Amino acid sequence: MEKDGLELEITELRLGLPGRDVAEKMMKKRGFTEMIMTSSGSNSDQCESGVVSSGGDVEKVNDSPAAKSQVVGWPPVCSYRRKNSCKETSTTKVGLGYVKVSMDGVPYLRKMDLGSSQGYDDLALALDKLFGFRGIGVALKDGDNCEYVTIYEDKDGDWMLAGDVPWGMFIESCKRLRIMKRSDATGFGLQPRGDE
Amino acid sequence: MNYFPDEVTEHVFDFVTSHKDRNAISLVCKSWYKIERYSRQRVFIGNCYAINPERLLRRFPCLKSLTLKGKPHFADFNLVPHEWGGFVQPWIEALARSRVGLEELRLKRMVVTDESLELLSRSFPNFKSLVLVSCEGFTTDGLASIAANCRHIRDLDLQENEIDDHRGQWLSCFPDTCTSLVTLNFACLEGETNLVALERLVARSPNLKSLKLNRAVPLDALARLMACAPQIVDLGVGSYENDRESEPYLKLEAAIKKCTSLRSLSGFLEAAPHCLSAFHPICHNLTSLNLSYAAEIHSSHLIKLIQHCNKLQRLWILDSIGDKGLAVVASTCKELQELRVFPSDLVGGGNTAVTEDGLVAISAGCTKLHSILYFCQQMTNAALITVAKNCPNFIRFRLCILEPNKPDHVTSGPLDEGFGAIVRACKSLRRLSLSGLLTDQVFHYIGKYAHELEMLSIAFAGDTDKGMLYVLDGCKKMRKLEIRDSPFGDTALLADVNKYETMRSLWMSSCEVTLGGCKRIAQIAPWLNVEIINENNNNRMEENGHEGRQEVDKLYLYRTVVGTRTDAPPFVWIL
Repeated sequence: MEKDGLELEITELRLGLPGRDVAEKMMKKRGFTEMIMTSSGSNSDQCESGVVSSGGDVEKVNDSPAAKSQVVGWPPVCSYRRKNSCKETSTTKVGLGYVKVSMDGVPYLRKMDLGSSQGYDDLALALDKLFGFRGIGVALKDGDNCEYVTIYEDKDGDWMLAGDVPWGMFIESCKRLRIMKRSDATGFGLQPRGDE
Repeated sequence: MNYFPDEVTEHVFDFVTSHKDRNAISLVCKSWYKIERYSRQRVFIGNCYAINPERLLRRFPCLKSLTLKGKPHFADFNLVPHEWGGFVQPWIEALARSRVGLEELRLKRMVVTDESLELLSRSFPNFKSLVLVSCEGFTTDGLASIAANCRHIRDLDLQENEIDDHRGQWLSCFPDTCTSLVTLNFACLEGETNLVALERLVARSPNLKSLKLNRAVPLDALARLMACAPQIVDLGVGSYENDRESEPYLKLEAAIKKCTSLRSLSGFLEAAPHCLSAFHPICHNLTSLNLSYAAEIHSSHLIKLIQHCNKLQRLWILDSIGDKGLAVVASTCKELQELRVFPSDLVGGGNTAVTEDGLVAISAGCTKLHSILYFCQQMTNAALITVAKNCPNFIRFRLCILEPNKPDHVTSGPLDEGFGAIVRACKSLRRLSLSGLLTDQVFHYIGKYAHELEMLSIAFAGDTDKGMLYVLDGCKKMRKLEIRDSPFGDTALLADVNKYETMRSLWMSSCEVTLGGCKRIAQIAPWLNVEIINENNNNRMEENGHEGRQEVDKLYLYRTVVGTRTDAPPFVWIL
């Protein structure tokens, strides 16, 4: 008898009435398809419905068997909390999608999807768009006369100047971006790229 | 019965403030009922459909503070459709019409619209305090009305609501003359915040004691806010990202040191771990700490912080703290009264960092503990028995083992004995939530020993109707019973219908009650509203004579003195 979804050991001792199979009862009651709703779209959709798919996303869910399903409204965590914790896990993955971008002088941060840019040029354009064309793009493209420098925080927590490493390496390690006023960075001997 | 003039009796009653006591007073005799009702200022209504505003106002014409609750508790877990009900609009309309001097409105799980908030803001010149918990249906435009029109506003406290953020300028709608704010909590707003307006508002509010910010308030703004509100007692940090060497961070460190009245800390919705150290200087003053949204903070940093918090009475944390972290809590926080350990991983297999060992350690170290909510992967009877011995003073005990039906991981047996020990030892237990593998036996214990139990939450438990019967029969003080996915049916439901008059409500979903059984109750007890919620088909369930076999998906029944409600959506069938 297949005991889907609950990982019950077949040899488990229980004091329930003989012959009563909890998993089967659960499934009979709810209908397996009712309990599992296949995800459509992003993590945040999943979270809002309070149900997580076990279908196509098995690979993402670490080590759980293919049939492990989540039941509606279980565990009993209120939807506000679910939404706020889901946000965390979906946005802190390094290199996967959205990173925070802050700019000196701007009172709020932005988020952008690194994955949607093809290279540093693209990124320059995207940053310009994000903060209203203040010439950030020029900064990235090696403009020493520009008002800003673009730096990023890498996996180790260090702040690096954007543009030194190949694009692929960059997006893998970039956790967040900061557009800093060049005047704040003076005295740090910023060498133009290409110098020995 | 009256030896004193009414005024004297009334004066005596003024010292009686709890709702329970005031209700009791009103039952003593007719004259006390009369005196009590005219002097009653605060009213609590646990189910907004149990009574209507007209009757409320007829009895308590001098009402100043009203608390209303709408949707049943399981609505928190998406088991109740959004359109189910709980609308505050008719209440505010009635209160406005009656010109009662409303000063405070506290709502939980209700539907609130911008229209309601606008009406509220215009109808009560002395309105001071608005507390909304887990509500929905409104936007920041509604908040703008409150800000603009409530001249004496003291508290604007928004907890875990779903608010449509129009990114408007609601904060700048507080007039310059508004200097009376004591509480400002907008942590649940998603959008950007007008920082200039916020700083000005905080700067002109010398009485501000509680400030809870949303995500959009960055570090440098936080530093400035704390600098102009050093009297703050309760702080909700929004987005707490920063660079440890940066100037805003240094300014924050300085500002924090000046906040010597700070007792409660929360927020950290997005937090960089190493920045917690800025708070170390004031930790020894903290009585309440909520880090349950700080998923990015590693347990080692949490432990470093908690080691300084020796006066902590309330702690909300994620299970990433681990058993090791809980051991530190147990040895440091000797004043701890309330602990909540939330799951950090809802999607995967669950964090294995907290187990029954953490719970046992807490119970051994924190002898003043009376409320606990504990999410974990595994539990044993032995651990629960030890916990019961260590902490016989529990008032609230909620254990959630993440996997439904999970047995004692050592004996592979049910957890009946463990929970049995809890209810036997904790004679003041008022609230209990069960989980794990449980048979009818646990309910036998609950019915036998849990004399003070008022609220019981059951999921995936029990074997037969006997289980539910033990509870209905034994727990004389039961007020709210909520059951899901358990094999209880009509026999249990119908055994003692009069019992439900002594309770606020009963919820049963995915159990074995049938349409026939529900109809029978509705017939016998016209003073109950028996609601069937059937989302899957908007049409009524088939009335084809097979009702005895048609299982009802969701049943919600509650006592009421005002009959069937008229605002139910199509998928709710009131029998």
